Amino acid sequence: MAERKALVVDDEFHIVQVVAIKLRNNGFEVFTADNGSDAYRLACEHRPDVIVTDYQMPAMTGIELTEKLRQNSATVDIPVLLLTARGFAIDPQQKESLRVAACLSKPFSPREVLHCIEQVLAQRAAV
Amino acid sequence: MGWWACLTALVAAAGGLSLLLPGTLSAGILWLTACAAGVGLGAVLWRMLNGLDELCLRLEDPAAYSEEKSSSLPAPFRCALQKWSIQQKERTEQLESENRRLLLELQQCRRHRMWGQPILNTIRDAVLVVNEQDQIIFANPAAQELLGFCPEADSPPSLETTVTEPLLREKIRRCRSGRICHLRHELTFDVHSRRRIFEAVFSFLEESGENGGNVVAVLHDISREHEISQMKNEFVNQVSHELKTPLASINAYAEMLVDSEAQDAEAIRQFCSIIQNQALRLNRMIEDMLNISRIESGLVKVNKENHSIALIVRDAVEMMQSYAQEKNITLHSPPPILYDQACVDRDMISQAVINLISNAVKYTPAGGSVTVGLEVDEADGRLRVTVSDTGVGIPPEELGRLFEKFYRIQANSHLAKGTGLGLNLVKQIIETLHGGRVFVSSTVGQGSTFGFELPLASAGCAAAPV
Repeated sequence: MAERKALVVDDEFHIVQVVAIKLRNNGFEVFTADNGSDAYRLACEHRPDVIVTDYQMPAMTGIELTEKLRQNSATVDIPVLLLTARGFAIDPQQKESLRVAACLSKPFSPREVLHCIEQVLAQRAAV
Repeated sequence: MGWWACLTALVAAAGGLSLLLPGTLSAGILWLTACAAGVGLGAVLWRMLNGLDELCLRLEDPAAYSEEKSSSLPAPFRCALQKWSIQQKERTEQLESENRRLLLELQQCRRHRMWGQPILNTIRDAVLVVNEQDQIIFANPAAQELLGFCPEADSPPSLETTVTEPLLREKIRRCRSGRICHLRHELTFDVHSRRRIFEAVFSFLEESGENGGNVVAVLHDISREHEISQMKNEFVNQVSHELKTPLASINAYAEMLVDSEAQDAEAIRQFCSIIQNQALRLNRMIEDMLNISRIESGLVKVNKENHSIALIVRDAVEMMQSYAQEKNITLHSPPPILYDQACVDRDMISQAVINLISNAVKYTPAGGSVTVGLEVDEADGRLRVTVSDTGVGIPPEELGRLFEKFYRIQANSHLAKGTGLGLNLVKQIIETLHGGRVFVSSTVGQGSTFGFELPLASAGCAAAPV
């Protein structure tokens, strides 16, 4: 079975690192980026199975990155999980229109992130 | 006339009879009778005429006419006069009381008018009065400035041509047509090319005796309140993000340790180190917020002593070197200075210098430089610390607000994270606690210089009451 690929995006190095370690330890090939532009480039290049991105990042937010991914046929279907430390919930309509698979609040549990990714991938495989 | 006619006829008749019977006793008696009757009636008439005259005098000037004088009047007149006097007195009292009340009202009206006009002219709210012909019959200076017109004395300006904002016109007309006594609405429109938000209150004032009425519109500018509210919301979100980020790392790495996700002893050590550093980072942020709050509320304890500012700056530069190196930025320290003593709280000044250096490094692209300078003006008795960078610079219109709490430049906010508290803390430390002054100058695309001035130490360094 081919290794599953994940892209982790956060401008906070320690967050990227901890999620990446968790996913690598559980059989994922992980690519990392600390900004939206690099993340978009890596997504186009490697077509990951799932993207885990921070919501609030300089230059390009997680939502803006998702919008960009949805406009490209190569990345339009990649499931996106948002990590957010924002004091308010993400607009449900926006979440639905951008097909955001899940929103996880910071502080988050790496265990929960992994579990969520597994669920999303299982649903896609079933379809 | 009747009395006179009777009297004349009686006297004439008696006289006539005495003439018809000359030389007789009867004629004499008749003559005497006629004369006596004439004299008696004359006396009565005389008294009546006097009474009437007196009555007229009394009516003309009741105060000047004494009671003794009226006592000589005949009884009916006296009674009528007394009754009339009482009525007159009561009426006079009523009129005097009414007069006093009206005088007071007049004074009040004059006072209101005297005060009302300057008040309306002074207040910052725009006040407009529009009549039923859609004419602006009153506009205070704030309204004139807001709408950009000068009223002409002979012809009041029309609402249609003077008020360009259609929603404002519509609300005034709606208030008038519906005779609404209190209509509140939030209006947003451009004033001198700036978006402004107003809380507008419209009131219909009915004109007495007429069908129509006027509409009073009061526009209170709430743009600043909106801005502050927005800043607060942004701050809450920003603080939430800033506090949760280290907390997220602490939580995630702790869980990884519990789940034995660290592959070896080195990984375990690294995870523990991250947890510790993130906890310290969290603490620093909370301290920053608390420090500002303490300074503002006057609860902070300041330990002022004479210190060398050059040494404080040198230590701060050393502390920030690794951070600058991480970003590939060269950090230059100031040359040594002989006399640079100032009466300061060492930790606080150190915090101010670190905040300025940290800010400069944040907004300077990799490969740039940050230079810390120190100058002493002995003649002026002041020293000056400057932190100059080769960063992105700040637009001139933003310079005035940089030291405001929670303020972040929107155009540069993507370059670095922050709570917008660092520069405010510097200002509080320098200006509130040390009687100094902060300053900033900048050129977009070339860089900025932030700094502060402090008074040089005098003979006795005593902690100022804070």
